[in-house]
Amino acid sequence: MTMSDHLPVLILLAPLFGAVAVGLFGMREPRVCLPVTLAALGVSLWCAVGILLRIHDEGPLDYFVAGWEKPVGIGIVLRADAINSPFLLVIAVVAIFAALFAVRPTGERESGKTPHFFILFLLLCTGLFGITITGDAFNLFVLVEVSALSSYGLIAIGRTKRCKVAAFHYLIMGTVGASFYLIGVGYLYLKTGSLNMRDIHDILVSNRSLFGSRTVQTAFLFILIGIWTKMAFFPLHGWLANAYSYCPSSSACLLAPLSTKASVYVMIRIMVSVFGLDQVEANAAWGDLVVWLAVIAIAAGSTLALAQREFKKMLCFLIVAEVGYMVGGAWLGDSGRWGLTGSVYHLLADATMTSCLFLAAGTFAKHLGVVRIDDLSGLFSRMPLASSGFVIGALAMIGVPPTGGFFSKFYLIRGAIDAGEWIYIAALLGSSLVNAVLFFRLFEIAFFGKNPVGFHREQGPIEVPSERLEPPFHVLAPLLGAAALVILLGVFNGPIVEFIRTALLDPVTIVSEAR
Amino acid sequence: MNAKLSATFAVVFTGAVLLYAVSDFPDFGDPRSPANHGVSGGAPSASVYYIKNAYHDTSVPNLVTAILADYRGYDTLFETVVIFTAGMAIFAILRVLRRDDSGIPAAPDPAIDGDHHRIVVGVTCRIAVPLVQIFALYVVAHGHHSPGGGFQGGVMLGASFILIALSTSLRHALGRLSETSFIRLACLGILIYAGFAFLPLVVGRNFLDYGALRALFGTDGEEMARSHGIFVVEIGIALTVTSVMFAIFANLSSRGRLHGGL
Repeated sequence: MTMSDHLPVLILLAPLFGAVAVGLFGMREPRVCLPVTLAALGVSLWCAVGILLRIHDEGPLDYFVAGWEKPVGIGIVLRADAINSPFLLVIAVVAIFAALFAVRPTGERESGKTPHFFILFLLLCTGLFGITITGDAFNLFVLVEVSALSSYGLIAIGRTKRCKVAAFHYLIMGTVGASFYLIGVGYLYLKTGSLNMRDIHDILVSNRSLFGSRTVQTAFLFILIGIWTKMAFFPLHGWLANAYSYCPSSSACLLAPLSTKASVYVMIRIMVSVFGLDQVEANAAWGDLVVWLAVIAIAAGSTLALAQREFKKMLCFLIVAEVGYMVGGAWLGDSGRWGLTGSVYHLLADATMTSCLFLAAGTFAKHLGVVRIDDLSGLFSRMPLASSGFVIGALAMIGVPPTGGFFSKFYLIRGAIDAGEWIYIAALLGSSLVNAVLFFRLFEIAFFGKNPVGFHREQGPIEVPSERLEPPFHVLAPLLGAAALVILLGVFNGPIVEFIRTALLDPVTIVSEAR
Repeated sequence: MNAKLSATFAVVFTGAVLLYAVSDFPDFGDPRSPANHGVSGGAPSASVYYIKNAYHDTSVPNLVTAILADYRGYDTLFETVVIFTAGMAIFAILRVLRRDDSGIPAAPDPAIDGDHHRIVVGVTCRIAVPLVQIFALYVVAHGHHSPGGGFQGGVMLGASFILIALSTSLRHALGRLSETSFIRLACLGILIYAGFAFLPLVVGRNFLDYGALRALFGTDGEEMARSHGIFVVEIGIALTVTSVMFAIFANLSSRGRLHGGL
């Protein structure tokens, strides 16, 4: 075996060892934190690329931890396929952007908590990689805990009281969600005697009566509700807006793009690899119900976004709407599985465009003190480059070609037409319209705002000279990088979607390969 | 809506759904239930496999330890990481660093300096602490044969330091185990576990496959190497659990000020 066979485990070991290294050396010498973090994430990025290329050439990749291969289910398996490997890559890239942005974390500078911040940052990355690559239903729970605990820490590390309250609220909701997931997995284990996703699937498929069993149905329900709580699916979204808008910008740039998306990924993984798409699609009544819930989530998220005066809060409610897109798309149940394809593609697109927008919001908050939407006045003249990155993210959110946001909507709508879910199309288009209204209002303020003022937290509005105030390179680079990625995802949507569909159209190949 | 009423409704509803599923459960203690015996159509039952082969594979008589630290050692690694994360999050949230509390006078603070007049308590604990610590080490080492292992032993070891802090003062306890050292120890625990699990990669085997480290331990069979490997990772777990236990106590009881540390 060569080192490249170990990529599935190296991808999460790199940030784990990085966290340990920061803990051992960073406490005394905080300057090592950033290089260690970037090096660890660089290794992860290299692993993600390697995994992607291997899957492209050879198909799904299994890694048996501790070598316990047979019989299936005695050990833990990590599995990378066409659904999760692109997401692994996006996690690595977005995390690197967030790390660069966090060079001097805004909130923590005075309190000297930089090492703590980077330890939690790397542990969160470990958790996200682990969630995405595991093939074991219980192991997934363990890594959800790693990422959840580090998220609470990253939110509460800010110095204001309200971010601690928001973290506490999130902690309660997150714990409830994770417990629900665990109860579901426990119930499944009662009926199948297995924790390995592939094994559970095989048992369910070869004993069809199990699908009618009350325990298995309850298990599915609890897993779903648990994950929905974690992804802030309306009406379980209450924790999200305060947690992501009050936490330090550098935490938000990692959490907002990735945390909810990882939960959406878990839902898709459970649908595809545990219960099986055939079974999910056979129960059209469930699908219809979930699509309706998604429509409500989209409508509510967009409406609440319209009502916000704070910039980051508005973005947070847009995330609630976007989660609705992905849940609805995954449950459309159209025969060509375009809805599900759209959802998986939107995972990638949404992670990158949310990253772009939160990096922009963080930049404006950090360097101009922008909190409210009205503070954006005169932004373009002062930060032309940063603002253009922001504009690209915003256009993707609206769904303007050639950004990724346009193509995900295209695939989602194609699925909805096939499935005849017109209400979902209406919600999708309505929400795009709301996004257009929201962002063009921002553009208007930012472009034509009469009175370019800065805002200082203590001193109130202050006159700021209208000369250029472009942020430093390490802040600008991730923002423009994310914007470029949004466009690249859109331009190369064809090959990406084709790759994703290799896993969705013939789930047998991913579920019972190597058997 | 009345918050209490809606909470009651949510709890009753959730409980009702859980009970609804219970009617369908296998009988309690049924040796032929899916969890104990497997289900046709799937892979052979993992439980049956463990019972038959765990001793042969790992030469650890305690099945639970073999499953926890070897077959599912990957889960346990991340359970330890969860504890580590909790400790770091506590630091991130509670710890007040010196620059911030410049205004606080150096007056004695009972929460930190303790009450030095408790002779009976002080002497008793001084006698008890070494015994607790020796027993904790025994529990860590004896996980192979009896209930125990790194988590349980680590909690006891952590408790012994907390006992020192309670019976004398936090300052005194921090003199024994300073902030820098317990953060280092927590990291070291993870490093021992993950680093040791990483070693098999060097000889081309999978992560956590302690069997590959036969040469390192100088054992004849792979199963004995696994047994030793489990012991090494238990030590890692114990270190992390001990330091995180004490870190949480120290931060909570001094409101994050930890005077005398660092």
